[in-house]
Amino acid sequence: MQQINVFAELLAVLDEVLSLGGRSAAFDRQTPLLGAVPELDSMAVVTLIGGLEERFGITVDDDDIDGATFASVGTLADFVAAKLNT
Amino acid sequence: MTSSPRPANLFFLPRVLGQRLCVYHGPASDKAPLAALVFVHACGEEMNKSRHMVALQARALSRAGCAVLTIDLLGCGDSSGDLQDASWSDWLADIEAACNWMTEHLPQTPIWLWGQRAGALLASAVAQRRTRPTHLLLWQPLVSGKPQVQQLLRMKAAAGLGAGMPAGEAITDIKQALAQGGAVEIGGYTWPAALMQALESAMLERPVAPGRVAWIEVSNRPDPSLAPTSSKLLETWRGLGAEVDSRAVRGPAFWQTTELEVAPELLSATVSAVLQAPGLTA
Repeated sequence: MQQINVFAELLAVLDEVLSLGGRSAAFDRQTPLLGAVPELDSMAVVTLIGGLEERFGITVDDDDIDGATFASVGTLADFVAAKLNT
Repeated sequence: MTSSPRPANLFFLPRVLGQRLCVYHGPASDKAPLAALVFVHACGEEMNKSRHMVALQARALSRAGCAVLTIDLLGCGDSSGDLQDASWSDWLADIEAACNWMTEHLPQTPIWLWGQRAGALLASAVAQRRTRPTHLLLWQPLVSGKPQVQQLLRMKAAAGLGAGMPAGEAITDIKQALAQGGAVEIGGYTWPAALMQALESAMLERPVAPGRVAWIEVSNRPDPSLAPTSSKLLETWRGLGAEVDSRAVRGPAFWQTTELEVAPELLSATVSAVLQAPGLTA
């Protein structure tokens, strides 16, 4: 899957999980997530992980769940892209 | 006939270790109810996020001529006790008590256990051990409790992300605590080890004839379909002769969305599935 598709698919997952109603279209790589988006509580993080697993067919290991991974849309997109390339 | 639904009756059912909050929705018309459903809720936050959909569904079923009873299980919602006091068998007993209440109240009416997510695991276990035929209405059923436990452990780990605790370490710690029989606090709920273990090893039980199964999943894809694990299990069940009405409808995963969301297609599909089940008398 190419980088640009990962980004678009990621925005779709974020939109669903955080009930953004299409507002994810305004996100770019720099958009901060964990700590910046109040809706992203523990349950939302877990739902997001599940959504990524389902959408991209990847498995998120316990050790992957890291503050740095969820810091921004860009770090999350890179994480998914890396998983897809392994 | 569309009459306005009767107001719901809220009462407390005396049980072991206190009482359970129950809400009964009678059928809207004065005719004999077509079905008597006992709702078995999901775990933790999923239960809270689903309340409004469950209420909407109960009212829709009532308008369609069905009776619905919801019960908050021991340690859940507004019932007595903390989660720490609860066991899997306590929950099964609560559900059976709710079924008995329905049967006493409506002796001629077919009983359905309506289970959502992890509640489906409990519902199928109770249906299997009941001597009277019991139909199953399953909303987004979990085929096994394992993914639910994984989700709970991840939630615990995610809660520690802000404090810089590595998730892998956090989860290992929790698993160790559980293996030693300790309780784990996750998102404000304290899970006793035995309960967590029972949930993890729970599997959706095969339906017992002549009980019917209505299996409904919600997906936000334009072309909704059942999860692969569901299709696989249903293939096995049907191969063994089970009668299953399975549907995938379009809608949000309301039990886990940040904002409260509604799935109108699920409401109509559910009423349709219950009314269409053969063997119901008008």
